[in-house]
Amino acid sequence: MGLSPESRARFNLERTSVLVLDESPMGMSILVQILTGFGVKTLHRCEKVDEAKDVIGKVEVDLIVCDAMGAAGEGYDFVTWLRSSRIEPNCYAPVLLTSGHTPSHAVQKARDCGAHFIMAKPLTPIAVLERIIWIAREGRRFVECDTYIGPDRRFKNDGVPAGMTGRRRDDLQGDIGEAQTPNMDQEVIDGLMKTRRVEL
Amino acid sequence: MSSVRIHTPPVKLAKLLRTPGGLPVAEAVQRAGAGLASLKTECLGELKTVLEQAEACAARAGPDYDAALAGELYDIVAKPIGVPSVCGLTAVDTALISLSDLLDYLKGQERWDANAVTVHLRAFRLLLHTEGSADVAGTQAILAGLRKVSQRYAKPE
Repeated sequence: MGLSPESRARFNLERTSVLVLDESPMGMSILVQILTGFGVKTLHRCEKVDEAKDVIGKVEVDLIVCDAMGAAGEGYDFVTWLRSSRIEPNCYAPVLLTSGHTPSHAVQKARDCGAHFIMAKPLTPIAVLERIIWIAREGRRFVECDTYIGPDRRFKNDGVPAGMTGRRRDDLQGDIGEAQTPNMDQEVIDGLMKTRRVEL
Repeated sequence: MSSVRIHTPPVKLAKLLRTPGGLPVAEAVQRAGAGLASLKTECLGELKTVLEQAEACAARAGPDYDAALAGELYDIVAKPIGVPSVCGLTAVDTALISLSDLLDYLKGQERWDANAVTVHLRAFRLLLHTEGSADVAGTQAILAGLRKVSQRYAKPE
């Protein structure tokens, strides 16, 4: 994405209500310093999942920053709960998940919990800001089915994963065939790119 | 066949970010950095406590694999990942990640390697107390060594 730390572009998080869930006091302090530095004024700090669930039920939040919380991954379970809670609009809130270390048995859980993005620690302010701006993009589709509720995990337009059959109506099937006509000449291609004077 | 619903919910955060006012990126990043710098002393204290807890936990280990102890040690060393970088000790973060990898592999294979754990904890102590980042080449050599040790268990035999 390449957001420059020297950029003069402005953004406004002053009126954003943010829920921060982290069981570690030091981890919480780091997130709070970063977010208040960005101008966030309304922070709901939760050290336990039950506290976070309580906030979700009572207050509208615009952004959730949540730690994976240990080897058991309580943070992933919280996001799964949030997505299936049907508490609108919070169940669609952008979620930035942070993780110090993802144990091998939790990788699938992390991928499928329904977070918008998972950031590996250590966190830097510029990286966190980049990700907040990225997950705030409008128009990201939400998928709801028996096995997954969350933002569409296909956001790169890389097509169907290798060796898999597409499950969606707009997935292209089959192999790319041989060319039916000769390739274009380089001169023709250059001609297409050539700058032309336009009279208005 | 299960039903799938695909829709595009409105994202209020996008509108809030565009609200007039706010901060330039450079100023926000500088303010956040200053906030993190204010935590440095507290973070160093926390890391010293973590090191003592980890050493005490590892000292209780016997020659055989103990799932509860391996899990306890993993929780102790994985939780503070990210804290050392706030104090400028990125090498300590790398050492903690390597030790967490090692413990995760050992847990997966139900094995124990006291030497591999000890060498990580010694490196943790060295990097924490001697500001290892000052000697870049030496620090990189330590971290490369740790990586080799933890990667020995990366694939099950």
